[in-house]
Amino acid sequence: MSTQLKVKENAVGEEAKASGKAALRPVEARVITVAVAGNPNSGKSTLINAIAGSRLHVGNWAGVTVEKKEAELEFGGRKIRLVDLPGTYSLSPYTQEEIVARDYLVHERPDLIINVVDATNLERNLYLTVQIQELGIPMVMALNIYDEAEAKGYRIDVEGIEKMLGITVIPTSATKKSGLDDLLRSVLKTADDLAGHAPKKLNYGEDIEGAADFVAQALRKSHPALLERYPQRWLLLKLMEQDSHVMKELDLGRYDFLDQALQHLKKAHGEDIESIMADARYSLASGLTREILQKPELRQMELTEKIDRVVLNRFLGIPIFLAAMWLLFKLTFDLSAPFGEWIGAMTEGPFKRWAAAILGTIGAPDWTVSLVNDGVIAGVGFVLVFVPVIFAMMFFITFLEGSGYMARAAFVMDRTMHSIGLHGKSFIPMLLGFGCNVPGIYATRTLENPKDKVLTALLVPLMSCGARLPVYVLFVGAFFPNNSGTVIWSLYIMGIFLAVMMGLVFKKTLFRGEAPMFIMELPPYRMPSFSSLCLHTWEKGKHFLFKAGTYIFAVSILVWFMLNLPWGVEQKRDSYLGKAGAVIAPIFEPVGFGTWEAASSLITGVIAKEIVVGTMGEIYAPKHEEKEDAPTLGEDLKEIVVSFGTAAKTAVTTLLYIPGEAEEEEDQSALKQAIMAGFTPLSSYAFMAFVLLYMPCMIVGVAMRQEFGTWKWMAVGFVYQTVLAWTVALIIYQGGTFLGLGG
Amino acid sequence: MNLARLKPGESGKITAIGSIGPLKRRLMDMGVLVGEEVKVLKVAPFGDPIEVKIKSYNLSLRKKEAEGIAVEVTG
Repeated sequence: MSTQLKVKENAVGEEAKASGKAALRPVEARVITVAVAGNPNSGKSTLINAIAGSRLHVGNWAGVTVEKKEAELEFGGRKIRLVDLPGTYSLSPYTQEEIVARDYLVHERPDLIINVVDATNLERNLYLTVQIQELGIPMVMALNIYDEAEAKGYRIDVEGIEKMLGITVIPTSATKKSGLDDLLRSVLKTADDLAGHAPKKLNYGEDIEGAADFVAQALRKSHPALLERYPQRWLLLKLMEQDSHVMKELDLGRYDFLDQALQHLKKAHGEDIESIMADARYSLASGLTREILQKPELRQMELTEKIDRVVLNRFLGIPIFLAAMWLLFKLTFDLSAPFGEWIGAMTEGPFKRWAAAILGTIGAPDWTVSLVNDGVIAGVGFVLVFVPVIFAMMFFITFLEGSGYMARAAFVMDRTMHSIGLHGKSFIPMLLGFGCNVPGIYATRTLENPKDKVLTALLVPLMSCGARLPVYVLFVGAFFPNNSGTVIWSLYIMGIFLAVMMGLVFKKTLFRGEAPMFIMELPPYRMPSFSSLCLHTWEKGKHFLFKAGTYIFAVSILVWFMLNLPWGVEQKRDSYLGKAGAVIAPIFEPVGFGTWEAASSLITGVIAKEIVVGTMGEIYAPKHEEKEDAPTLGEDLKEIVVSFGTAAKTAVTTLLYIPGEAEEEEDQSALKQAIMAGFTPLSSYAFMAFVLLYMPCMIVGVAMRQEFGTWKWMAVGFVYQTVLAWTVALIIYQGGTFLGLGG
Repeated sequence: MNLARLKPGESGKITAIGSIGPLKRRLMDMGVLVGEEVKVLKVAPFGDPIEVKIKSYNLSLRKKEAEGIAVEVTG
């Protein structure tokens, strides 16, 4: 027996002692742990949101990209801890979600399980239920979407299910918040008598039961401890299935008794063992469904069918998809932009003035004012300006998923995306990437397969985001005023082209092997509940604000120190940033811009690419600050409120396409002059290509870290993109010079 | 005959599932079992993937995966 196994045994021993202690305490004082399981699209998230509301705590399951939600709540004077398991169709060992769900159920052993079942899709949902029964953990079934099933004319024999499975069944409708109190009451009732609520052992047929008995006897002789440690029936069935995950965990090696037991089974059924077991489970689910469900004889064409006739139509499918994507993009960015700008203006103006005033009154030295304003407040502002766009993106993506259209979009786009090794659902993150790469990275969470998810996230930063545009505008204005549109377009196309190329390269290298499969349910269209949407959006936004915010803030402070150290530095050239720029400048010699100015700008561009322009402004054409009369506190406060109103108005008007006044253009003529002296048209194009391609901004990096739970993919992205950027810039500059385009 | 060759509106009964390993298990978990009735509903605008009705819900899969599912045409 391996040492790992012994360690586990000890852990279990501890646990048993702990639970023994817990049993001595009065039942009321104990927290009841309830795992919530169910199929995807069964309304499980909505149900949890409706029960727990803002008490939900969102994180990740250790080591995987699967989201973990938990909540502690009080009901009827008792404490209940809800643990939301990932939505799964089965408890097989093949997807991250399934492994997370079953490991939790087997190793953490919750007191009971709430099994959320879609009443309109009983058979497939009962297949999972049958597997949960194997664990022997008391179960309360939430027969969800019950209202819809009733409206369809389904008649479900609720007591019949209870009798056959030996569990409690409560009809619920999470969107209408009905049945939830009953559900929690049953949870308490079950928790008071856990032993009396053990689910029934279901009969898998003579052959399988015979083989299971045989394996049980053999195990009792050779590994009695195992039968204690794992839910017995579950263990027997998993051993018979030769479940890869369990076999690895137990490290039993080959056991003759297993082969012996299975041989007979395989001979009798003429199939492999996994098929035999899946058949047995589905037969139970089908049999049960036949017993308890009565569907109306005359079936009307369902709403989903009607919508799909149009939405997935051969001719209309693509235009509708494009229109939906255009709307998603527009809503996400146009709706949020004015609020982002409002937050930016607030931190830039009033907050900095107030900080300076406060520091001034307490007599703090000047450098602290700069640290607080240009470091701390600028850093916080940096995080905050992203909040509106992330909220908007999460809201609309969640809506697309909850409504059922996301699956259709993937269905329509899969052929195209699959040709470059991606999944139909990769399209949306890529599209959002054109607005801002950060929401693009977060949107990869709609992809189930980790391979698809990571590959998509690595390619999203090649989409030319809005922050690169100011850099293009500056350079194009200086060097290509007559072909500005064409030049900018060429950069966007370059990004897409390289994404396709890199997709193919990654497919052949990092992600070699079997292409992930595309087996996806097209769920019925449903209206997601507004409160659940808002809650979900808030959870995500909050997560970004505090988790990602911390890193972003730290980097901003670091850059401030780079710009302002050593103390009292006057010339930018002498700051640590300038020195660092000078050190790395030779690297850019072969690509056409080996100056400390360009290199320093590129360094600060890591915070956010539009900062390249700001830094260039400071380095090439420093402005002399003009003293203005500072507004009073009252004026500032008024301005904040008024400008918020303007932002809200702008958000609405841009959506409705009401033309407003043209934006004021900042005067960049001095900077343009300086740049024209420092670059040639050819080197400026190489520089723009480099800005497009080199390592994404740190916020993208932090988003990747957050989504994947490791810095690894961020590192891969940063390295490959920088190498790619340098190579492309080299080809442009040297190739151009060779062709006589230089100078 | 395999599932990828059925036209929209046609139904069949699954006679064998050719694939092995995770793919096969995943298909079975989704209700794609030998003996099951399956009806092709739609083909995506670009010709792949396809949408089928099985166990009274809608499932989409790529043609490559559908090719491994042998069916006998029933209607």
